[in-house]
Amino acid sequence: MNKINKEKFTALSFFLSPMLLMVVLFYLIPLIMTVYISFTQMRNWNVERYLKDFVGLYNYERLFYMFQHDPTFKAVLLTTIVFVGITLIINVFGGLALALATFFISEKPASSFRLLWLLPRMSPIAVYSLVWYYFFHGSEIGTLNSILMKLGVISQPIPWGQTVPWGAWSIIIFVNGLVGVSFGMIVFTSALNQIPRELVIAARVDGASAWEISRKILIPLTKWHFLYVLTWQFLSLLTTYPHLFLLVQWDLVNRDYGTTLALYVFNTAFGRGEQDQGLAAAAAVILSIIGVIGGFVTLKVLQFEKMMKRPRGDF
Amino acid sequence: MKAKAVWLVAILLLGVIASGCIGGEKETGTQTAGKVQLTGDFTKDVVAIGKVLEQNGISEVKFSAWGSGDPNSVMRVYGIVEAARRINKIWADNGIKVKIVITDTHYVASFQDAYKEYLSKQPLGQAGDFFVNSYAFLPTLADEGYILDITDYANAYKSVIDDFYPSLIEASKYKGRLYGLPQDTEARPLYVRKDVAAKIGLDVNTLPEKVKSGEFTWSDVYYWAKKAKESGAAEWGLIHRKGSAHPDLIQFIFAFGGKLYDPNTGKLVVDVPAVYKWLYVEWKFAQDGLLPKDIMSWDWAKQIHPTIVEGKTLFDIGGTWYWTEWQTKQYYHGRGLKPEEVKEWFAYTLFPAGEKGDKPVTLSQPFIWMINSKAGAQNPKYDELKDVYHMLAFLMIIKASDPDINAIHSVISAHLPVRKEAAKLIKDEKWLNDLKNLNLDLDPTVKDNIKNIVQATVNPINAQFLADVSYMLEYTHLAPAHPKYPALADIFKEAVDKVLRGEMTPEDAVNYIIQKVNADPELKENVEIQGEIPKNWKFPQ
Repeated sequence: MNKINKEKFTALSFFLSPMLLMVVLFYLIPLIMTVYISFTQMRNWNVERYLKDFVGLYNYERLFYMFQHDPTFKAVLLTTIVFVGITLIINVFGGLALALATFFISEKPASSFRLLWLLPRMSPIAVYSLVWYYFFHGSEIGTLNSILMKLGVISQPIPWGQTVPWGAWSIIIFVNGLVGVSFGMIVFTSALNQIPRELVIAARVDGASAWEISRKILIPLTKWHFLYVLTWQFLSLLTTYPHLFLLVQWDLVNRDYGTTLALYVFNTAFGRGEQDQGLAAAAAVILSIIGVIGGFVTLKVLQFEKMMKRPRGDF
Repeated sequence: MKAKAVWLVAILLLGVIASGCIGGEKETGTQTAGKVQLTGDFTKDVVAIGKVLEQNGISEVKFSAWGSGDPNSVMRVYGIVEAARRINKIWADNGIKVKIVITDTHYVASFQDAYKEYLSKQPLGQAGDFFVNSYAFLPTLADEGYILDITDYANAYKSVIDDFYPSLIEASKYKGRLYGLPQDTEARPLYVRKDVAAKIGLDVNTLPEKVKSGEFTWSDVYYWAKKAKESGAAEWGLIHRKGSAHPDLIQFIFAFGGKLYDPNTGKLVVDVPAVYKWLYVEWKFAQDGLLPKDIMSWDWAKQIHPTIVEGKTLFDIGGTWYWTEWQTKQYYHGRGLKPEEVKEWFAYTLFPAGEKGDKPVTLSQPFIWMINSKAGAQNPKYDELKDVYHMLAFLMIIKASDPDINAIHSVISAHLPVRKEAAKLIKDEKWLNDLKNLNLDLDPTVKDNIKNIVQATVNPINAQFLADVSYMLEYTHLAPAHPKYPALADIFKEAVDKVLRGEMTPEDAVNYIIQKVNADPELKENVEIQGEIPKNWKFPQ
């Protein structure tokens, strides 16, 4: 290694080491540990006893067997697909729609409007979930049922979350979508604010409507942000579970059709009764593989590599 | 070379001295701990332990107590606080300058959540030194080495152990070893609203006897529930728990003569005929509108209890602790019931037999004082004095089981006493009066924390209730203490929910249970499916 390279290496190491350390500590080691635990008999948090209890592919075989024979497991996989798919669409397109809507109004009301959409994200998960628990409760104590009954729309309360599969799915998608949509809104708002105002003004002068400006100018210029939000939200939704956990725990939504693979992993590892961390780790590894494949496909389809090209200009 | 040799010798010498020091200290500790032998004389043992601690320079012993359950059962942790005070008094009286300090009384409503928290924190050494929870979790905790095997200590305290009801001591064992002491137990009566019963002509005075003799079965419960509903006397015929099927609903299996465990094989059992009959009863009640189809997702505080205390149902499957919970929680139009109201409005019987020829039942879920296998770890010289700390912890649960502490818990929480001496005490009017006025020798913290509950619950009516339901223990069953039982109970709950909602017929639900058991290789290995769905079985008969 010549002197210049050595200096470059030292400088790079200095600047990158905190990040590398973080990645190793919080990503790499947990990943390796999860894979390792999936090959052990680990349960009930008993690290001392089971950490060296290597059982090979036993947990994966058990998982596969359950996938073949357990009706609940099939519901879990189906719920994962529907939940991630639909909530992703809501989060990405909803975020974009909100950002575009606030783009065309003056800053003050736009900020207040955006703040409103951030409220669910700012509320503690338990409080936020409790609000929807009482709102969608399947008896007359549920706000929605109570309103509809008072209006004479229904005569009997509707067990929203227990109507399978779409009742349960609708609630978990609605509750999570309401939280997730603000993320896309912020990213898209920021992106829209970066677009030179002259383009919009010129289009306005030429008589373009808000819709035409959005379609022809704004959306094409936020393509990379779109890609980022889509990938990020996909991976995030695949692993999200806290709201779902509470809604299922409180019996608001049907357990089979309110449980995604991420929640299944959590319940298997830390749920009631026997806590089977080995089996949960195997399911988590599969979840990670799905995440990696899904993320890769998204990036490939939307041609991520083009964004990574060096921009033209002086360097 | 010479210098090197000198250095080597010096290092060796240093190593020998260092290891000598470390080893020497350990040996002294072991010897000191070894001096204490439990004799069964409580004061003598406490004094001996106090002296060892004092000799080792320990002036304060820290312990924490974790408990869970209904709001009135706080003695599950304050019993430990009181035990500490009583031991401290013995030490003070004997001039021993050591004190037990309870650092944390962690009490939560859900016993399942408390168990989860204990599981995750025990390996980190952050779980409570004392843990009061259902015996159902004891096998797993014992199996994982998370709780202390107290068999050898208990041998010295045979006289105390013998005062506990034997079945409860059995519930505190796993593979023949004792892992805790019973803290309380209960029965699960069938409550009957007297006012609703009067409207439809159901004689509640003779009912307990009829149930006892097996004359009044679940077919009769159905008949009267239907009558109550159809006559407009009540909105519902029957109300029962939500959530887990364990333990209230599991009673149906025993009521239909079924079983849950095979002692010969050590496996859990899905007794198909009994489970089918149970699910059929649930299905029939729900289909005929006598039991809410969505009861498994009802809200405890806003729906289940208010429906019962406001007289909107004829029957309710509940627990003895409901009796005082209704008095201390605001379930009745925003207030608690008065003892006189509970007595006036509710009759109670055993859980009736499933059908003629079967026997009535009840089910108990004893709570157990368990000691963390790392108890005392937050104290100095833990490694050397581990045995001493463990012995002290054992003596604390012996003290926390004092008849008066156990009796206080029973009266204020409507759980049944676990010791014969405590059972005698709750019948003593003078003692009850002293408790009512808190004129008892108790720690001020304990008094403060139970003051309101005592005000609301201590009276002859509640004591009489406990005395009246005590006979139910003769009919009691325990769900199996098996590590896989919670998983099976969870599947039963799913099946009950599905038949209640009409998503499955009872037959489909039985097949669902079998399918779920067989889908998990580990569960399949631990569960036997016995018998077949009975043909031409009818309900009501």
